[in-house]
Amino acid sequence: MIPTQQKKVCVLGSFSVGKTSLVRRYVESIFSDTYLTTVGVKIDKKMVDLADRAVNLILWDVAGEDDMASLRLSYLRGTAGYLLVADGTRPATLDVALTLRKRVEADYGPLPFALLVNKHDLTEQWAIRDADLEGLRQEGWWVRPTSARTGEGVEDAFKDLAVRVAR
Amino acid sequence: MSTSAAATLEWLLRPAAREPGIDRKALAGLLVEIARNVGPEVCAEPTGVAPVDPRLEQLRTLLLGREIEILSRLTGVVDDPEQLSAAVAQVLPSALAQAQNDARLGPVLAPTLEKATQSSIRSDPRTLVNILYPLIVPAIRKSIGEAIDQTFQSLNETLKHSLSWRGLRWRWEAWRTGTPFAEVVLRHTLVYQVEHAFLIHHHTGLLIAHVAAPDAASQDPQLVSSMLTAIQDFVRDSFSGDAQQGLDALRLGELRLWSERGPFATLVVVIRGNPPEGLHETLGAVLSRIHEERHQALEAFDGDSSGFADIEAHLAECAALRQQAPRRRGFPWIVLLVALALFAAAGFGAYRWGEHRHLRAIEQGQWADYITRLQTQPGIVITEEGRRDDKFLVAGLRDPLAVDPRQVLRETGIDPARVVSRWVPYQALEPQFVLERLKASLDPPASVTLAVAGSEIVAEGSAPSRWIDRARTAMRMLPAGGPMLDLSRVRNSDEAKLAALREATRSLREAIQAEEIHFNSNEPLPAPGQDAVLDRIAGELKQLASLSSTLHAVPRVSVTGHSDDTGQGTFNLSLSVARAGAVLALLKKRGVDPDLLSVRGAGPLEPLQPGDTEAARSANRRVSFAVGIEDQP
Repeated sequence: MIPTQQKKVCVLGSFSVGKTSLVRRYVESIFSDTYLTTVGVKIDKKMVDLADRAVNLILWDVAGEDDMASLRLSYLRGTAGYLLVADGTRPATLDVALTLRKRVEADYGPLPFALLVNKHDLTEQWAIRDADLEGLRQEGWWVRPTSARTGEGVEDAFKDLAVRVAR
Repeated sequence: MSTSAAATLEWLLRPAAREPGIDRKALAGLLVEIARNVGPEVCAEPTGVAPVDPRLEQLRTLLLGREIEILSRLTGVVDDPEQLSAAVAQVLPSALAQAQNDARLGPVLAPTLEKATQSSIRSDPRTLVNILYPLIVPAIRKSIGEAIDQTFQSLNETLKHSLSWRGLRWRWEAWRTGTPFAEVVLRHTLVYQVEHAFLIHHHTGLLIAHVAAPDAASQDPQLVSSMLTAIQDFVRDSFSGDAQQGLDALRLGELRLWSERGPFATLVVVIRGNPPEGLHETLGAVLSRIHEERHQALEAFDGDSSGFADIEAHLAECAALRQQAPRRRGFPWIVLLVALALFAAAGFGAYRWGEHRHLRAIEQGQWADYITRLQTQPGIVITEEGRRDDKFLVAGLRDPLAVDPRQVLRETGIDPARVVSRWVPYQALEPQFVLERLKASLDPPASVTLAVAGSEIVAEGSAPSRWIDRARTAMRMLPAGGPMLDLSRVRNSDEAKLAALREATRSLREAIQAEEIHFNSNEPLPAPGQDAVLDRIAGELKQLASLSSTLHAVPRVSVTGHSDDTGQGTFNLSLSVARAGAVLALLKKRGVDPDLLSVRGAGPLEPLQPGDTEAARSANRRVSFAVGIEDQP
């Protein structure tokens, strides 16, 4: 099925939470990662098959920076939804994700988003409590443990978001 | 016309002439003439007519009284220039409005307006400039820009080909067809083809439609369109550009990317070759047509690109634009990507420049922080600081014991290589520095503590007198006005030690004086069994010598030999001397310094027990010791 529907989706998160790895392995890409360090964003595409049609998610992988003042929020203009990525072995990255979500909401209003807690394959170093994630789910967040290495949860996460942004 | 208008006005404004009355004779003639027309039989002659008849005047008033009144009011208005101007001013705007369609109005007003404008400019030209500035400057800029571009393009090509073989051929063609040479050159050199046309939605950066020339290679246009938008955003953000402005053109080699921005969508075309500047106009026209036709659909675009077939038709029009049959090659996407990357890098460089200024401000803050921190450090006095070109400078006085400014610098995060420091050493009088100095020069024993108490330095504990003497000297050397050294709480540890030493010496002395060496009768050598006593005495003497030297004294031990009272006196005297001499020798043999010892013979004159019993005589045959202590010379 050739998709005629496109949706812009931004991928946000701290530095080295595995955003780019998530994107690199599961999407189509023609641009090199150097765009991230120069322009601060790299565009990739993910085709998602929904029940009745296919949607192309145009993924804006926005350079991860812990110093949030330097995040270019203007790249989020016109986004239909966004993926927040945190690193399950570093609880601080979850805090960054929470802050990012607040900033995005402040500038662009409520948009569909999903939280991917990455590196779920590193069970021994996992440092985020299930209760915290459960708390976020109670608040209506879409939270999904993922692993860029094993692929766990990645396709589902893209699909979740595609369903909601293409509604 | 103006003359007649002036005449009318003249007539209107003419002062009313004194009424001479009605020519009654002429009136009568006229009436008779009318009567004759009605009835030819009337042949009355208007004779005997009185020249004045007030009834006629009466008749005029009766017939025309109202008109005369209106006329006189009107004349009043016309006669008074102020009233006349007010009246005309009331109708002037609507009169002009009505006359707008009259072709004559423009030419009539033109000279007046010209004069008015001239006089306005003469009095203050800025007024007119201010009025016209926003209107004409952008237009002029754009028009000049395009004209210059075109001229340069034409000039470039003309120069390039003016002397070549091809150039000569084109000169022939120009001469033959009667067109300017430059035009012919442009016609032959501006060879281009539009290979791709993208229509990109502003808000989301998503691709609305894309058309490629038939054999142009295709990469994913959706990705390219988003990346182009990102780069536009990046450049705009980095240079704080107007949200309505964007990149007009990118160029790499013979590949160009031209961008025309509309209200909702941007048209981006990829052109191979050398397009004429006039192509901008063509593309702009296509874009505005697209906006005219699909205004609402473009505004409401949400990512669904189906149903834009008509737009694709317009884009296909763009993608078909070309001049001459260009050589076709695969679309060098790599080149496009490299161009994008280069452009991004250039943008990034410029962005870094902006950031550099930002960094400069941050550095300035860090520097101010560094200086403040140094100023609060005791033992550092800053006399000069500031920025010279790309370096920071700080100069002043620094006590060598003060904190190391390089350490403080490292904490502030400024690159030390960019800081020039000139520190002149000096001695600070702050108590903590004086304390450090005293500690270093006095080397106080562990039993003494030196500490700052208020503005003084206080020493506490116990110390030997030599140290106390040194400390007193140092105390006197301290600079006036600075903190003083208080030594009153230091006990002299030597005095107690001396007392103990003296006591030990005294008891040793008593012990030695109580010792005796016994002899058999007539024997100059000690009796058998006295070796142990000699050993003990030797030990005690040596100990005494060492104790005394600590007290800076020397023991003087008199070794006195004695004899009993039997035998001859001279023999006994020499025997007693011999006994003392023998003991001295024996003690010397045991390591006692012989210089401390002196010998004396007392013969039988100093008996221990008077009497002539054998026990008394035996006790008297002895050597005794007397100990005196002398101060060291």
